[in-house]
Amino acid sequence: MKILIIEDEEALAQSIVAYLKEQNYRCELAGTFREAQYKIQLYDYDCILLDLMLPGGDGLRLLGELKKLNKQEGVIIISAKNSLEDKIEGLQIGADDYLAKPFHLSELSARIYSLIRRKQFANRNLIQVNELQIDLLAKVVTVKSEAVSITKKEFDLLLFLIGNKNRVISKSALAEHLSGDMADMLDNYDFVYAHIKNLKKKLSDAGLPDYIKTLYGMGYKWEA
Amino acid sequence: MNQLLNRTLLYYAFLATTLLLLSAPLFYSQMQRLYIDDVDEAINLRREEFQRYHLPLLQKKEVAIWNKYNRDIWILPDTITQPVGQIQEAVFLDTLHQEWEPYRVLYDRIAINRQPFMLRIRINLVESEDLIKALVKLYIGLLVVLSGVLFVLTRVVSKRLWKPFYDTLHQIEKFNIEQPALPVFPDTAIMEFKQLNTGLISLINANLKAYQRQKEFTENAAHELQTPLAVFQSKLDLLLQHPSLLEEQAAIIASLYETASRLSRINKNLLLLAKLGSRQFYERQAVEVGTIITEVLPYFTEQAQQKNLHIQTHLPDQPVWVQAHKGLLEIMIHNLFLNAIRHNVASGSISLHLIQKQLTINNTGETIPLEEELLFERFAKTSSHVQSSGLGLAIVHQICQLHGWQVMYQFPNQQHQFTVNF
Repeated sequence: MKILIIEDEEALAQSIVAYLKEQNYRCELAGTFREAQYKIQLYDYDCILLDLMLPGGDGLRLLGELKKLNKQEGVIIISAKNSLEDKIEGLQIGADDYLAKPFHLSELSARIYSLIRRKQFANRNLIQVNELQIDLLAKVVTVKSEAVSITKKEFDLLLFLIGNKNRVISKSALAEHLSGDMADMLDNYDFVYAHIKNLKKKLSDAGLPDYIKTLYGMGYKWEA
Repeated sequence: MNQLLNRTLLYYAFLATTLLLLSAPLFYSQMQRLYIDDVDEAINLRREEFQRYHLPLLQKKEVAIWNKYNRDIWILPDTITQPVGQIQEAVFLDTLHQEWEPYRVLYDRIAINRQPFMLRIRINLVESEDLIKALVKLYIGLLVVLSGVLFVLTRVVSKRLWKPFYDTLHQIEKFNIEQPALPVFPDTAIMEFKQLNTGLISLINANLKAYQRQKEFTENAAHELQTPLAVFQSKLDLLLQHPSLLEEQAAIIASLYETASRLSRINKNLLLLAKLGSRQFYERQAVEVGTIITEVLPYFTEQAQQKNLHIQTHLPDQPVWVQAHKGLLEIMIHNLFLNAIRHNVASGSISLHLIQKQLTINNTGETIPLEEELLFERFAKTSSHVQSSGLGLAIVHQICQLHGWQVMYQFPNQQHQFTVNF
């Protein structure tokens, strides 16, 4: 899987690369508008992370160029401008997702995972993870052809964990992921534990080994 | 209330009364003097007539008869000692009514058949008194009527004259710096009002500019902070991946995470505050408040469970529609809810009541009422709560202002109560 990271903030770009490399993604960097333009024209990627405020031009123009080149890359906008207009405009021009800075790397990774799966399995939305079969559209999880009854939140949680396989996910990243719009107001991450506990129980009842590991009460990991 | 017009009228009335009181005696004495001059002139005339027409023909024996048929011109024996040749005041007894009456009198020496006599010419002043009194009454009446007319005129004219002023005042009262609508002052032909309006408009514009600049600054500052925050958080995410982490280190990282999310929360709220009132929040749609509450309730119930709080909601059977920006209304309800959870005590309670045009949230908490003046200020630290950025209620306040709603805080029966009137 190849990912192009268009981001002028060196330190952030490096962090993203370091995190995604462990997930077996091949990452390339572009720090300016020109560089990004050049790379988009030359190579194909599975996913492009796009910062909107770039030296040398507006990231939204790159989106237009991708469309002109008739490229199929999934694009996730990562922007410090967390304004609704930007978000709407970006999605209208053809971005697939929009992530406001600051974000958790695990959140980014989970979104890349989902995006690539959506692009790849345009016809069949089934993904196989260990003994699990996950239907992305119907939001159904089956283990050895047995459906596991699972709530929407638990389904989100599962995908989030799987999208960050073998990575430690902080409790706050999980809490913010589960809260969506209300993440800005969180006080208390303890509710995450309750959801994790339920999910673990359901999976072990379905006969799965214990893939979800808890670390010192500060994070979780899908270990497989 | 001391209204401008009432004030003006009060001055007028005071002035008119003073004028009346001062001028009436002056007028009276002037009239008096004029009349006496007149009377004196008449006395002198009679003396001349007497000297010219009667005296040469008068015989000594006719004196008694003369006196019998003349009322005011008498010929007296010259034994009378009175200053001669000058007119003076004197009183004589009116035998008919038995009362003394004022007269102007002139004594003069004359000779009849070579014998000296004293001539006395007098004129009664009684008629003059009445005349003057009548005149003064008339005059006062006139003044009163004049004052009355002035009064009414002032009221009417001032009302019309000052109309632009009141229009301007009304416009300014409606003006809110958060709202984009600039006050439109009606055109006026009066120079001072024109100046007032121009002055006000430039003042408002200058203020708006400053306010806008401050907003932009806040917005830019918050923006600039987003990137370093993102870097900070991403490095933490990487640090967390280290397999050799010890428990103490993990604890430190956990508290750094908390700090990072607090920072980004404050930042997001600042951005929101700075952006409130910008174009993107002007759109209004019909929103059903009950639906929004029902949507977020599960989430807050989950949050409240950690503190073992009991949440009660009372929603009406009828839908409650308001014209609002949906996103902002949601944020307002979130903030109020969160506030009630955050500042609550373990095993406390929260009750929410929605009726037509009013939303009330009650919660248990510290048993001291909060200071309402400070409550809706930015970064108001009304509690020692570490998680609180002090911006949540400021945002609620601004959202209410933007929609023209009213938000209040009260402390009935040891509970904190927030009320929003739509």
